[in-house]
Amino acid sequence: MSSIAMQGGATGSGTVTLLAPVTNTNRTINLPDSNGTVLTTATAGVPVNGPAFSAYNNATQSISSGTFVKILFQTEEFDTNSNFASSTFTPTVAGYYQVTGCASIAAAGATLFITSIYKNGAEYKRGNDFRGVTLSQAQQFNTALVYCNGSTDYIDIYGYNSGVTPVVGSGSAVTYFQAALVRSAT
Amino acid sequence: MTLYDKIKALYPELTDSDFLSTIRLQNDSDGKGDYIAAWDHPTLTRPTEEQLA
Repeated sequence: MSSIAMQGGATGSGTVTLLAPVTNTNRTINLPDSNGTVLTTATAGVPVNGPAFSAYNNATQSISSGTFVKILFQTEEFDTNSNFASSTFTPTVAGYYQVTGCASIAAAGATLFITSIYKNGAEYKRGNDFRGVTLSQAQQFNTALVYCNGSTDYIDIYGYNSGVTPVVGSGSAVTYFQAALVRSAT
Repeated sequence: MTLYDKIKALYPELTDSDFLSTIRLQNDSDGKGDYIAAWDHPTLTRPTEEQLA
């Protein structure tokens, strides 16, 4: 039978306490058969239960041609930390977020469709575009890694197109906005 | 007529590339409408409010 050895630190005077949870059920913690360091919720760079959300546009949105227009996302699919409101993501945990925006835009005679990630009201990362190809509808996808300071930084999705009387399409599959913490700031 | 249409009427030579680089029209979907967020065109001057009225 293998065994567990407990060993104090070579220096230092602190006491490490293993605290049992409040429960009436027996539990078993399985340790991995490998060397390494146990991660905790305070370990630098580990995004444990960080904010994540997904929202989509539930009503068509008329926008102007030749103009970067903030896309509206009225319906939340999930918002784990209540950081999404008014189509804007303002995370309250500092760190690096994988942000994704997708917009379906219909416009007659358009030669250009773009979905862009905005940070703090300014364009931050522009997605690919259909340039020089005349289309009446296109679905544009954009994703980027964005650092947010956990207090004032906020993220929006903007759309741009060059067609006539453009309209942003609705639906969870075609016009959506998502983000999740992938690495904490520390 | 949108802000974009008014500017294109004033400066027909402008192209999509201009509106994606030196000129930025923006709408924050806050009910305030389209506005010029940036005008850094090297030769064409920013239109006045009177020209855009």
